[in-house]
Amino acid sequence: MPEWKQVIRERFASAKLDAESESAIIEELAQHLDELYQDLRASGHTDEECRVLVLEELREETLLANIRSSVGRRRRAETLAIRPGTRGYVPAMNHNLKVAFRNLRTKQLFSLLVIGLLAIGIGGNAVVFSVFNSLFWHALPFSESERLVDIDETAPQWNLEYVGVSNADLYRWRKDSTSFVSMAFYRGMNFNLIMTGAAQRVEGVQVSREMLDVLGLKPLLGRNFSSEEDRPGGAKVVLLNYGFWQQNFQNDRQVLGRIIKLDEEPYAIIGVLPKEAMFPDRAKLWIPLAADPNVASGYYVSAVGRLKPGVSIAQAQADLLRIHKAMIPEHRVNEITSPVVTALRERFVGNLKTAGFVLLGAVGLVLLIACVNIAALIMVRSAFRAREMAIRAAIGATQRQIVAQLLTENLVLAFIGGITGVTVAEGCLRAVIPAIATRVPGWVKFSLDIRFAVFCIAITAASALLFGLAPSLDAARVDIRRALADAAARTTPSRVQRVTLAGLVVSEIALAFALSVSAGLLVQAFRKVLEVDPGFRPENVVTFRVALPESSYSGPEQPIAYFQTLLTQIRALPGVESAGITSAPPLGGHWGGVYEAEGVSRGHESENPTVLQIAASSGYFEAMGMTLLAGRVFNEHDAQPNVPVVALVNESFAKHFWQEENPIGKRIRRPGRGSPLFNSWYEVVGLLRDEKHDGLDQKATPAVFLPFAKVVAAADKNDARALNEISVTVRSSTEPKMLIGPMRSHMQELDAEVPMYQAKTMVEQIDRSLWTRRVYSWLFSSFAIVAILLSAAGVYGTVSYGVGQRTHEIGIRMAIGARPSQVMLEVLRGGMALVLIGAAAGFMGALLATRVLRTLLFGVSPRDPMIYLTILAGILLIGMLANLVPARRAANIDPMRALHFQ
Amino acid sequence: MVFQPVTRELKKGSAELLVLSLVENRARHGYEIAKLIETRSGGSLSFQVASLYPLLYRLEGRGWIDGHWVEKAGQRRKRYYRITAVGRKVLAAQRANWREFVEAIRLITENEYA
Repeated sequence: MPEWKQVIRERFASAKLDAESESAIIEELAQHLDELYQDLRASGHTDEECRVLVLEELREETLLANIRSSVGRRRRAETLAIRPGTRGYVPAMNHNLKVAFRNLRTKQLFSLLVIGLLAIGIGGNAVVFSVFNSLFWHALPFSESERLVDIDETAPQWNLEYVGVSNADLYRWRKDSTSFVSMAFYRGMNFNLIMTGAAQRVEGVQVSREMLDVLGLKPLLGRNFSSEEDRPGGAKVVLLNYGFWQQNFQNDRQVLGRIIKLDEEPYAIIGVLPKEAMFPDRAKLWIPLAADPNVASGYYVSAVGRLKPGVSIAQAQADLLRIHKAMIPEHRVNEITSPVVTALRERFVGNLKTAGFVLLGAVGLVLLIACVNIAALIMVRSAFRAREMAIRAAIGATQRQIVAQLLTENLVLAFIGGITGVTVAEGCLRAVIPAIATRVPGWVKFSLDIRFAVFCIAITAASALLFGLAPSLDAARVDIRRALADAAARTTPSRVQRVTLAGLVVSEIALAFALSVSAGLLVQAFRKVLEVDPGFRPENVVTFRVALPESSYSGPEQPIAYFQTLLTQIRALPGVESAGITSAPPLGGHWGGVYEAEGVSRGHESENPTVLQIAASSGYFEAMGMTLLAGRVFNEHDAQPNVPVVALVNESFAKHFWQEENPIGKRIRRPGRGSPLFNSWYEVVGLLRDEKHDGLDQKATPAVFLPFAKVVAAADKNDARALNEISVTVRSSTEPKMLIGPMRSHMQELDAEVPMYQAKTMVEQIDRSLWTRRVYSWLFSSFAIVAILLSAAGVYGTVSYGVGQRTHEIGIRMAIGARPSQVMLEVLRGGMALVLIGAAAGFMGALLATRVLRTLLFGVSPRDPMIYLTILAGILLIGMLANLVPARRAANIDPMRALHFQ
Repeated sequence: MVFQPVTRELKKGSAELLVLSLVENRARHGYEIAKLIETRSGGSLSFQVASLYPLLYRLEGRGWIDGHWVEKAGQRRKRYYRITAVGRKVLAAQRANWREFVEAIRLITENEYA
């Protein structure tokens, strides 16, 4: 008898089994071959025949691999002591992944659908959440930024939420308060800067020397302002912002001590600010505030403070209020004003919060709908695959293995969808950041919140698992006989499955309905805002600003002459219809005071609203396209030095003082002391329609217009600040932007050191002022559209599934005489029932949900019946379309084929 | 329906069922198992060494059967396999599945002629 061990050993030479298992296996196999050989011999074969037949047993080429892998498994099972019944996780996982990817390829439409849904849900959420997070939750780029607060004064009786802080208040607060580590004051100030070539306008700020302390920063180069410099009459020194230093001085460390000319006055550079000094926003240059504690001032500065550790905002506010009210005996006005302390972030981006939350809610709903849809799709598919699973179970796959397989497939889908979603989000965020960044403070930094993206992936995966699991378990313990053989298994999906599916679809429709109604309301509000009469005609109007440096335009005559020349030149340009100047065009600033009317009892000071006070030249009203309701606008004569001051008022002003009476010829004045502008009577010569000075969606404020030349001639120091930047307004008969170039060259000729800046059309400015509203209305609508499409897909999928399940039954019914139209109607009825129930639920949901929107609706009722009806009709129509396809399919079922169909 | 894996699983599943059935009531060694399959199936099923032993090791690895060397006086030692408690459960489940499967096939095939 041949020596089999040697033969086997040769075959195993390359198997690299360990010595012990190898010898055991060889021994066992050799015995087998021995016995076979003996049996063959006994049955009469020759030695040679026996040898060939026995060797034949070892012929199979996979022997080596088979032995190796099965032995490998045996050893692993022994050493790792994996519970019996599992094959070892790693190979099983590999197998499951392989199958999952194969199914992904073979079921392309399904896979793409799920991945697309996930990408939309996750991508949208990641973008909106990241923006929201950056705006409201990310730490600000300052140390312990949660202790930074904005300090301001409020005067509800003047109709003003924030009035700014006055000198007297700020010094007292700082001296007496116990809640703050430090407090700094600032006000924005722009400069004409001449470095090389043409003059440019640079955004800067006047700050008190505590600002760096408050922010917790140190100068990168040089030093902070000294207390001598931050005092009236102190030396003219400037700190450069990091970006400005980089851009204009190429990081030159020798910059200290150099002189730059701001508004034609020399300032010595004493330091460079660190990169983190991004507050006050956009200020490229800091100069000392140098406020005089002994001089009474208007409310003109802003304040920022760093709270002591452990002090709450409410405590700090109470502390300031105590000091503030103690000042009443010397400052009667403190009865009206009171300090407000707000978290820094809240103050600057708080206005976006409602919109932010609403958007977050909307995109969350979309994610929810996407999850529901994925769940429904997976349920449908799992049910379709019940047969496949039954076969697997029949031939030995355990329940665990089946579930593991299905879950792996769902996880693979969730994972790919998630990655796609995050990529999409990254792209979107990159696209929207530049648009957002110009509209929020520079210290808000936007970045994709990866943790949140992971969270989104996790919840969609969880929903896929949750809803995929139930049918998988069903499939795993499926009644094999029925699944494989009995057509009944296809006509009656489990009751639980049907109810769950119907529930999913109904909730999808309900969510989509509520979302669409909200979107409809917001869009309606946006349209309403756009239709608001702004009180002026923005088309074909361009405005730009001019700031005349005080040093060379000190008296009233120089600026008056400058603008007169400029306006004459502009009016001579071809295409110019009219041109004028103003201290504050619509959307362009605020300068106010309290007024009184002759013969109207003045009442308590607190009852008088703050009136917008605007200086304007002749030509301005025509250029801005303001509507004159009675009387006349200013003419050249009103600007003459020796004629009395006349005024125009708007409707709100007239209504406040004279109700319905004609204001023309009545007299008004501004109580107070100081400049000749105060306490002298002006005759009202014209009544203007209210202009939406602060934006189309804002209330109109009472306003008084005074002749520019008169105001400039009489302005005191406070008023002069309001006149520092003048807007030139030009109406053209053609594209107004074409005029910017020629006007700029006229200004160059007139005075090369006076730059033109902020040249924009009025339409652009209105657009910009409505940007937030536009963005959230638009985003909301796109979310709603996605939601409707998703739920339509859900309806379509579910009804198709139902029809597929009932093919056999429908076939029988048609075979015994049911008409196709009957079948179609019945399927439609079933599908539309889901749509109707969903719409009803959505209706109720929308009634509740839209309450949140109230503040954004600009007077559109949250229960606007037109919107509800339109959305209802839309949802029903789309639901009908989604039902029609499967209903037609049902009607076209061929009874013969259906009955053969397993 | 994914066809290919099914046939593979079918073959594998039935082989497992055969082996488990044979060692259900008494321990047997490899040659005995191979021989029983061949004789009881009237020669229509047979296992070569190259596929039988890998299967045995795999079942052992899963903990469904348990192999151990037995020495008898005057004979060389042999490796006997017997079913484990887990193996019994698997066998019961597979038997039931198999019966249902066969029944299902019968129903389908008869249906065709109905």
